[in-house]
Amino acid sequence: MNIVVAIKHIPSIADDLPVSGNNVDFDSVDFVLNEFDEQSIEQAVLVKEAVGGTVTVVGVDLIEELDNILHLAIAKGADKAVKVTADEPGADSHMQAKWLSEAIKGLSPDIVFAGVQASNDLDGQIGPMIAAHLDMPYIGGVSSVEVADGTATVNKEFAGGVGAKYSVSLPMVVGVQAAAKPPRYAPISKVRQVAQTATIDTVEPSGDASSGLTFKKMAPPVATGHAEMIDGSPKEVAAKIVELLKSKGLA
Amino acid sequence: MLTTVEKIIFILAALTSVGFTYHGFKTIVDSIRKGRPAPELKDIPGSLVKAGVAVLFQQTIFKARKVLSAIHMGLFFGLITYAFVNLTDALEGLIPGFDLVYGGKNIPFKFLPAGVINTFNLIADVMSGILLFAIIVMFVRRFITKDKALTFRDNILLNPKVLAGAQARDSLIVDVFVVMHVGARLLSQAYRLNEGPDPFMPIASFLNSMVGSSEVGVHVAWWVSLGWVMFIIPYLSRSKHTHFFMSPINLGLAKQNPRGQLDPAVPLKVIEGTRFDPGAKHVHDLAWTRVLDAYACVQCNRCQDVCPANFYQRPLSPSALEVNKRYLLKEATFGSHPEKLLLPLTETVISPEAVWSCTTCYACVRVCPVGNEPMADIVDIRRRMLIDGYEIDSGVQNALQSLATNGNWMSKGKRLRGKWAKEMEFPVKDATAEPVDHLWFVGDTASFDERVIPNTKMVARIFNQAGLDFGIMYKEESNAGNDVRRVGEEGLFEQLVEQNMAAFGKSQFQRIVTTDPHSFNTLKNEYPQFGGQWEVKHYTVTLLRLFEEGKLTVKNKLSNYKVTFHDPCYLGRYNGGFTAPRKLLELLGVEFHEMPRNCENSFCCGAGGGQIWMGKVAPGERPAENRIKEALTTFESNASDKKQLFIVTCPKDMIMYSDAVKTTGNEGRIEVRDIIQLIAEAVGVEEPAVAEAVAA
Ligand code: SF4
Ligand code: SF4
Repeated sequence: MNIVVAIKHIPSIADDLPVSGNNVDFDSVDFVLNEFDEQSIEQAVLVKEAVGGTVTVVGVDLIEELDNILHLAIAKGADKAVKVTADEPGADSHMQAKWLSEAIKGLSPDIVFAGVQASNDLDGQIGPMIAAHLDMPYIGGVSSVEVADGTATVNKEFAGGVGAKYSVSLPMVVGVQAAAKPPRYAPISKVRQVAQTATIDTVEPSGDASSGLTFKKMAPPVATGHAEMIDGSPKEVAAKIVELLKSKGLA
Repeated sequence: MLTTVEKIIFILAALTSVGFTYHGFKTIVDSIRKGRPAPELKDIPGSLVKAGVAVLFQQTIFKARKVLSAIHMGLFFGLITYAFVNLTDALEGLIPGFDLVYGGKNIPFKFLPAGVINTFNLIADVMSGILLFAIIVMFVRRFITKDKALTFRDNILLNPKVLAGAQARDSLIVDVFVVMHVGARLLSQAYRLNEGPDPFMPIASFLNSMVGSSEVGVHVAWWVSLGWVMFIIPYLSRSKHTHFFMSPINLGLAKQNPRGQLDPAVPLKVIEGTRFDPGAKHVHDLAWTRVLDAYACVQCNRCQDVCPANFYQRPLSPSALEVNKRYLLKEATFGSHPEKLLLPLTETVISPEAVWSCTTCYACVRVCPVGNEPMADIVDIRRRMLIDGYEIDSGVQNALQSLATNGNWMSKGKRLRGKWAKEMEFPVKDATAEPVDHLWFVGDTASFDERVIPNTKMVARIFNQAGLDFGIMYKEESNAGNDVRRVGEEGLFEQLVEQNMAAFGKSQFQRIVTTDPHSFNTLKNEYPQFGGQWEVKHYTVTLLRLFEEGKLTVKNKLSNYKVTFHDPCYLGRYNGGFTAPRKLLELLGVEFHEMPRNCENSFCCGAGGGQIWMGKVAPGERPAENRIKEALTTFESNASDKKQLFIVTCPKDMIMYSDAVKTTGNEGRIEVRDIIQLIAEAVGVEEPAVAEAVAA
């Protein structure tokens, strides 16, 4: 079975996000793997372990640092890696979905996994758009996948604790919310070994599908007030709160 | 004395005994040799001699259990004496007329002066009494009063033979041997006394007054005494009492590298055609010196007594690890189960949960009288579990993942590492950009944890006040990797070392100072192996020097405080940093009280070896909580109404113990403070007033 995972390299929000001009300052931000993609890689490897096949991880190389991520994916159990060399750190999800689809087409996939969304665009679009480009069905918000005889059994979770189970004939695209098991840890020695031995296939970006949207302005939210700490015994604090509410005309 | 027939039987029996003994020890040596190459040992004859002396004076056992150790000393000297006694007994049997009683006056040829023989007789006689007394105490301890220290908790993985009481059986056999052997020997001498009491053999003479003298008695008692020896010597190689022979050897071959330097995950020694996987899955993946540990183990459980994980009801006992190793090897080499050697250690020797409970506090290794290193085995097992894809605790996994991407375990961006420094009222130098005298390695907890940052800033203020030329590496610093290595993630440790080495390479500095004992340990003891040869100091040492040089002076004596001090494992037990913090406290003028468990015997807070990352918290009294109670008990016996402080010199301790004070409901009775807070108060450095006014 040909299992493909489409991944996204995104700016890290572990630091305060630096902004320059009308976009993120891509030169001074670290890039990390989208956390839902970690789940989708794990789910893909779980499917492979259950039914056999190969897992190919495909991503757009935005800042020429994708190799580390691809090596990590291989250390976690993927078999092959492909990168689309775009070198365009601000590429939006429309462009990335198009480039990824073009790269995935040639792999004749039986099932494609993508993280259900990413924290940069936050639009959950990549999966559905790939499905549209490849003309395959799509289910998102998925929390486990089992495959047998050309059919995938997919569990999806809705809000309010309701779950649904779908049977879908392959091929299809799955938007992974969470893998059936927590993503495994890849020891660094293994990642480093992979880095020395693995080959990463490279493809040029083809097709243009920009969203047509442009950034007008990007800025950190302006703090609009401040919290005041009230010290003292519970009684004093209570009295001060009452006073405060009165002064604002709320009590 | 013996008839010709008896002589023939004796010689045949002795040869058989030698044969079995040879086979026994050859089996053991073969099994030890199957272990992996160990780190190179220097001057083996020298250290064997040193170990021999230590054993002779029984120095190492006195690290714990003083009274029992004294009794063991009696056993030891008794058995040493008996090695000579057995020799003279054999001569008495084989050489006609050779008889030591009455100063050897009946010996038909010129032997030794009567004075020498009498001295020997006296020693042998008295030692027999001591031996009998000592063995009876040991017997009573195990079988009558059933000392809990000799048992294992129910949740600890044990070899089926051990569960079925194999240790007790071994002990019983040896107890019976000593009683029968020594008793029979005393009797054989008593029966010889046909000319009345011998003043140099008081016990034998007393026995003689009851049983009289008898030629037949001499024969029977002689055979019982020496017969037992011929049985027991080969038996020893198959029992836990192999330690008679293996402990001194093991002690002589014990770890020579610094305590704080772990053995590599893969042997450094290259062997043609052999590829080693990191760490240990099977018993013979351990270094041969640690296979030897199993044979040297006295099974005394001293290590279990001091183990914080064991205290915390975790399924870990360092002694069970060694005991299980021993019985596994026995079943596989002497028994008929060689296939058991191919079972993973996590099934035969220590449960996976136990493997992940170790705080790597080194207490077990420190206390072991025979130089065993159960902790090193645990780290090796972790190493292999990680490589083999064992599902680790989610908290540990998150920490490791963050360490791999961010260089810290708190999922914080690299650039945030120096945030505290940028908030200071004076500039803190960037050592990667301008030369400094002291490069301050801050560490993760002190850089990122809001609860610790005020102390970090205070250290900076005090350094600044003292005119110390220092700087930090800001975003270039990564976690030093001490705990990463002890969790078993050797590859990540190496990556962190490389990152830090690159950062050090960019910086210009004379020496390193660190506020974190964990970083201190690996920077000092492990980085040199990667080319990082620097003078590394813990901040307590640097601060003490600043006081001694007059760059800091105590303005206000803190006599209103009653304090105790917790030795962090990685500063104290690992690196001997006991005096600087105590001297500082003395300078500050506080009333100081030592907790019962201090210095080498300090009790771990429970955070080390990756435990602080664990997502799951087990129920039961935690080591840190127990420690707070220990401090309060110490204060109780020195009652006064001074403010009671628990002083720490490690950022992790600040967190562990502040929590423990809360969870034990002791707020108001005791307060946890970093030593820097006291120093600030004494030298009169305050936080700038603006800092706390409004939280935005
Ligand atoms: S190192 Fe400490 S926690 Fe680990 S086994 Fe030894 S005594 Fe127990
Ligand atoms: S490892 Fe050392 S301390 Fe522990 S039981 Fe064995 S001999 Fe005693």
